[in-house]
Amino acid sequence: MAQAVDKKNKARLRPKEKFNFFQDQRVRSVFYQLLTAGLVGWFLYYLGSNTAQNLEARGMSTGFGFFNTTAGFDTEFKLIKYTPGVGTYRDIFIIGALNTLLVSFFAIIASTILGFFVGILRLSNNWLVAKVALAFVEIFRNTPLLIQIIFWFMGIFSVLPVIKKTIDLSFGAEFLLLNNRGLYFATPIFGNLFWLTALALAIAIIAVIIIRFRAKKRQEQTGEQVKILLPCIALIVLLPAITFFATGMPLAWDIPSIQGFNFVGGASLPPAFLALFVALSIYHAASIAEAVRAGILSVNKGQTEAALSIGLEQKKVISLVVIPQARPAIIPPMISNWLDTVKNSSLAVAIGYNDIVSLFMQTTLNQIGHALEIVGLTMAFYMTISLIISGFLNIYNKRVQLVER
Amino acid sequence: MAIVTAQKTPDRQPPLSETSIIGWMQKNLFSSITNTILTVITLYIVYLTVKGIYIWGFADATFVAENRRECYNNSLTGACWAGVIDWMDNIMYGRYPRDELWRINAGGILVVLWMAPLWMSKVKGKIFIGISVVMLYPFLAGYLFSGGSKGLFMQVMVSGAIVAFIANMLNMIIGLTKNQSLVQFLLRIFNQNNASDKTQRNVILGIMIISFLAIFLWQISFNLEKVGWTQWGGLFLTLVIAGVGIAASMPLGVILALGRRSRLPVVRVLSTSFIEIFRSVPLITVLFMATTMFPLFMPDGFVLNKLVQVIIAVILFNACYMAENVRAGLQAIPKGQFEGAHTIGLGYWGTMGLIVMPQALKHMIPNIVGNFIGLLKNSTLVSIIGLFDILLMLRSISRDVPWLGLHREPLIFGAVLFFILCFSMSKYSRHLEKKLSTDNKS
Repeated sequence: MAQAVDKKNKARLRPKEKFNFFQDQRVRSVFYQLLTAGLVGWFLYYLGSNTAQNLEARGMSTGFGFFNTTAGFDTEFKLIKYTPGVGTYRDIFIIGALNTLLVSFFAIIASTILGFFVGILRLSNNWLVAKVALAFVEIFRNTPLLIQIIFWFMGIFSVLPVIKKTIDLSFGAEFLLLNNRGLYFATPIFGNLFWLTALALAIAIIAVIIIRFRAKKRQEQTGEQVKILLPCIALIVLLPAITFFATGMPLAWDIPSIQGFNFVGGASLPPAFLALFVALSIYHAASIAEAVRAGILSVNKGQTEAALSIGLEQKKVISLVVIPQARPAIIPPMISNWLDTVKNSSLAVAIGYNDIVSLFMQTTLNQIGHALEIVGLTMAFYMTISLIISGFLNIYNKRVQLVER
Repeated sequence: MAIVTAQKTPDRQPPLSETSIIGWMQKNLFSSITNTILTVITLYIVYLTVKGIYIWGFADATFVAENRRECYNNSLTGACWAGVIDWMDNIMYGRYPRDELWRINAGGILVVLWMAPLWMSKVKGKIFIGISVVMLYPFLAGYLFSGGSKGLFMQVMVSGAIVAFIANMLNMIIGLTKNQSLVQFLLRIFNQNNASDKTQRNVILGIMIISFLAIFLWQISFNLEKVGWTQWGGLFLTLVIAGVGIAASMPLGVILALGRRSRLPVVRVLSTSFIEIFRSVPLITVLFMATTMFPLFMPDGFVLNKLVQVIIAVILFNACYMAENVRAGLQAIPKGQFEGAHTIGLGYWGTMGLIVMPQALKHMIPNIVGNFIGLLKNSTLVSIIGLFDILLMLRSISRDVPWLGLHREPLIFGAVLFFILCFSMSKYSRHLEKKLSTDNKS
């Protein structure tokens, strides 16, 4: 009844809609959108026509045909086979991309480990340790990364002892040699039967996963806790080791040794790689440390106190109560830090590490022109990586949100 | 039976472990055996580091020398600061003509003096000071730095800036001594403080026009010597790039952020893709794009110099980060504020400009300062494409014949300089954040 009356009143009260063309919301929204699109479109057309004119005036060709032309220059550091004069610019692009990914990958791992460590030290109840960690973070966060990279390169890795006085980091075994030409390390040579050891390791890992799963299930059902740590370690160490010795140790090392003026054998990383790796790791460790600290502090103090009051030990409080709640606050800034690491690895160009920017965007562009294609392609490379990484971030955020509700 | 006394028993002193240094040390450094070991080890590491830095950087260091050989003769284990000191003018000003350095210093002092009243609680008319420093100072500074003969437009802007600066200084002095604004003071001098609004306005306008004309006629008489942008360099160039970058990317960032939150799909998609594209690539690729592709974009016969290309690239790049800061600030504003503003009849720009932005700005300050720090650090990248900013100057020392191979000391000097700038800024922004915070959370 009441509703019906309401409806009637409403119908009566509603003012007559006058259609005013200039005041109408929809008309205005369409107009503004057309205006924006038109302006942007005109601007892009203007740039495009200028570019076409300029290219024509300078007699420059466009297109990706240069990908199949052979490149005449050599690169110091490469992960794939390439010979100057035979390899194409496509190879150059691939070498650069792989080098970027390589240094970023190692820097991400190192900075995450170091960052966690420093972030936890920041919260130490030891005043001195906390202050030292704070000093580390502030010093490396407040100086430009480029200065740090150049300092590591020029001030440390380029002035290391010469090859004759090389530093042995493996205490005389000559497995890890550091000198002003870079880091030389022994590479493994796998024997015929080495695959059996690898197989044994895989089996051991699968077995450990199964054991853990069953132990957890049992604890959930009966409340009994089974100690599985020791058997698991034994399994993972002993099974591959026994296989390794049973098959007659099918593994040798290719050890770098001085012959004439250079090293023969093993593999090496150039000083530029080391400088970039160390600088990126430390710089980003400082930001990750801050993210870790903020994440742990974001967990309510009452949670820790409640966990302590129900009798959990300090270690379990951290691993079962604090860390699981801090994780959603730590991981997103950490992933965006990983993304920054990949982007910042482009500073390699300042010290001559052969990453995608220095090989492709600088050397190739200087040699053959094609600015539009090369700049576009390099940017597309970085965009793809950041799309992939932020895709992972979105998936993670969704999962965390689902768990919360 | 309780013992009742009329007097309150005096409070007992807190236990010694809470107040004395020894108590504090026991609690914070030696609370357990592991903690004690940790403290001792850390103390030892800190001692070694500080000692090493002291011996290398001060005790054994050479501060006065003609070349690197003399440094080595003095001590082999110490730093050679003499090279840095020798190059100090280059590090600060680049290859700017040595006779004209006062212009850069004057530009720096001017902006400090101009902005100083903003921090004084007694001075009035801060909005005008803020507007004038953004709208007029850049012209005055631009002319000071580049010189040459002034066009009419430049003449007008420079005279305006000088008038504004003098008015600002008088306003500050009067504000500090008499607690009045300059306008009130002038009206009292001319005995017009009880006159009608219109007369008052006319008097003030008259004074402004007369002083403007006087300055305008005075400034015609001289021209500063022209200094081309190629001679700019050092810390000065770094600060110019970062300063222009932050000032210009702020409005652009606000527009992009509003665009990203717009209800109009076309505007939203365009803003979002612009922001995301620039945020997903490194700055160095944008700089390379600026130097290689901008010449292709320009119409025939129009050439941008490298500095302008770089500054445009920095602005575009930084605006996207700024847009995300602004967006975060906007998201912190509760919906009720938008609805309240709509209720009292404000339109879109009214809501944003009068209600939302002033509140959002407060939330954004730490992020904006963080952004500026990031930009200042990132502006060293311009050295890669060959602008003689502070980093390239520092690196040039090692190629100068007397100081051949001197790498470490200049870089450490640069790092310390940046550290002082960035660290003090971030500390100040944290202080500001606390001061402006109006919510009642601790």
